[in-house]
Amino acid sequence: MVLGTYKEVVAARSTDKQIQKIAQDGGIVSALFCYALDEKLIDGAVVAGPTEELWKPAPTVAMTAEEVLAAAGTKYTFSPNVWMLKKAARQYGLEKIGTVAIPCQLMGIRKMQSYPFGVRFLADKIALAVGIFCMENFPFASLQTFISEKMGLDPNLVEKMDIGKGKFWAYTADDVYTLPLKETHGYEQNGCKICLDYVAELADVSTGSVGTPDGWSTVFTRTDAGETIFKAAVEAGVIETKAIDDVKPGLGLLEKLATDKKTKAMKVIDDRKAMGLPVPYKASSEKEDPLANI
Amino acid sequence: MSERVVISPTSRQEGHAELVMEVDDEGIVTKGRYFSITPVRGLEKMLTGKAPESAPVYAQRICGVCPIPHTLASVEAMDDSLDIEIPKAARQMRELVLAAHDVNSHAIHHFLIAADFVPENLFATAVNSVSEIRKTAQYVVDMVAGEGIHPSDVRIGGMADNISEVARKKLYARCKALKPKVDAHVELIVGLVADKGLPAGLGVHNQPILTTDNLYGDRENFDLDRFTEIMPESWYDDAEIAKRACSTIPLYDGMNVEVGPRARAAKFRGFTEKGVVAQHVARAMEMKSALSKMIAILAELDTSAPVRADFDVRGTNKLGIGAIEGPRGLDVHMAQVANGKTQFYSCLVPTTWNIPTMGPATEGFHHEFGPHVIRAYDPCLSCATHVIVVDDEDRSVIKNEMVRI
Repeated sequence: MVLGTYKEVVAARSTDKQIQKIAQDGGIVSALFCYALDEKLIDGAVVAGPTEELWKPAPTVAMTAEEVLAAAGTKYTFSPNVWMLKKAARQYGLEKIGTVAIPCQLMGIRKMQSYPFGVRFLADKIALAVGIFCMENFPFASLQTFISEKMGLDPNLVEKMDIGKGKFWAYTADDVYTLPLKETHGYEQNGCKICLDYVAELADVSTGSVGTPDGWSTVFTRTDAGETIFKAAVEAGVIETKAIDDVKPGLGLLEKLATDKKTKAMKVIDDRKAMGLPVPYKASSEKEDPLANI
Repeated sequence: MSERVVISPTSRQEGHAELVMEVDDEGIVTKGRYFSITPVRGLEKMLTGKAPESAPVYAQRICGVCPIPHTLASVEAMDDSLDIEIPKAARQMRELVLAAHDVNSHAIHHFLIAADFVPENLFATAVNSVSEIRKTAQYVVDMVAGEGIHPSDVRIGGMADNISEVARKKLYARCKALKPKVDAHVELIVGLVADKGLPAGLGVHNQPILTTDNLYGDRENFDLDRFTEIMPESWYDDAEIAKRACSTIPLYDGMNVEVGPRARAAKFRGFTEKGVVAQHVARAMEMKSALSKMIAILAELDTSAPVRADFDVRGTNKLGIGAIEGPRGLDVHMAQVANGKTQFYSCLVPTTWNIPTMGPATEGFHHEFGPHVIRAYDPCLSCATHVIVVDDEDRSVIKNEMVRI
């Protein structure tokens, strides 16, 4: 089960031309939030919104489609969205909250829901948690450093960033720059090295580019809530889908990458445990499935 | 022939206390003594040497019944010690939180006295009414102060964040919708208290009242020079009781006083009644005052205004005073900050003021009315307990004489 528990997996993309244009891949997160806002399934979403500094996102409460779209596209650095959830429920007065999160943030959210210490009445207000696939994440200074020093590019000129085919990609207005991913190693945050979750196993719906062709996303529906909203969005025509078996490269690549991430992380976890360091995971000898996200 | 009637612990109140009444042949109380037997908390001592920001976080945990007044008194004391002028919107939000807490806390008290006044056939009505009111009142505290019980967003220098316009409108609409419910609730409670037919004059005493403000609290109206504090040994004329009492006796102008809703109503709202019934009526009526204040603040709160002032945390060792009118009365916290650390911290809390007045207020009526007199003050003892008389040799108080439930 390297892909976590899920109900269904499909290839999907937003049918909205505007979303297709600005989205990272299939525009699933934007399409789902816009649809859920329209249908009042959520009354706001905590997203990684833009700040005055290009490529540095900040948690933002989006309450309209425009605000959701302003946050479209992947930023390869942190946006501490979990921190904003309580504010969304309190100062913003939201009662059905959507959020987008990477796997580690989802672990935090689910733990918070299980042990709502200092977050009374928040657990039941999270109506839709969309997870995005994540291999690793970079501190903002790391991102700036390898873009400007290794790629020789001013980050302010970059219009889109992407990771795929073993490379980090940066698109300017009229050029494409790449950096082999092994050159970015050492710049990721330390915690990523022990993370056992590639495909956001704890989300209601998780999505990412891997497994599907350009312009499409792979989507897992994992919970009843996630399945209901996703199916409704497909039915309403805001998202179109294809069977995952009909697209290339398909689930095989996803399984391989998820297994790689887990295997590598498990080795680091075991090493750190052997040194007596505190690690919030079990050692491989302590669990039935050594790759389980526990 | 004098006989002793002892109620220990007194019931349907927060914390543990004992009521000792001496009664004559007819059972009429000739001497009433009420004292706290709740173990000491020691929070004030824990706060010394810590960063000033720790104070509201600790102080609010004195008790889960009125964490809001303690938080507010704590930040107000720190604001004063650090000479901070908080923004207008922050002040409005603090007042809003306290008013909402008043409504909630008074409603809780109606649970506690329900068994005294509410007939069986109206019990469900009364309980539902209390629950509905609390739900909305606590929702306001949740949203404005971060948490309904231990508010995280009331900070030194103001508030952590302003609320959004969406939230303001939502709260405004809900509070408006609550008004007819609160009106009906107050009418119900006031009517039921009158129906009980308690003897006229029950609980009336001649001690002065102490209050600083209609609803929020104003340090300008609390004169520290007029305040003195004595140990229970010099107050209770019974050596055994004096030894066991766990609270100090605060005096204003050398006299024990009454604090709370009746005191505020008498000073600021032209209320002239006294005694048990008057206390219940004043408390219920105050829910209306507090709700209308909430509605007024929510109508005009500028949600784009700043709510936190910049300040220098180092401090000058000035004695800061935070005076807050909690549901049960005046709550004063005092703090001194120097070198960025709390040097001195002291809380002077509502029920402590009332304790020396409550016992004598039972006098002149049959002892069976004693508990009614006590409950009319809505005593809350956790925070009132500040000192414990311990014999260092045998540590007798700690060992054997705490209340056992």
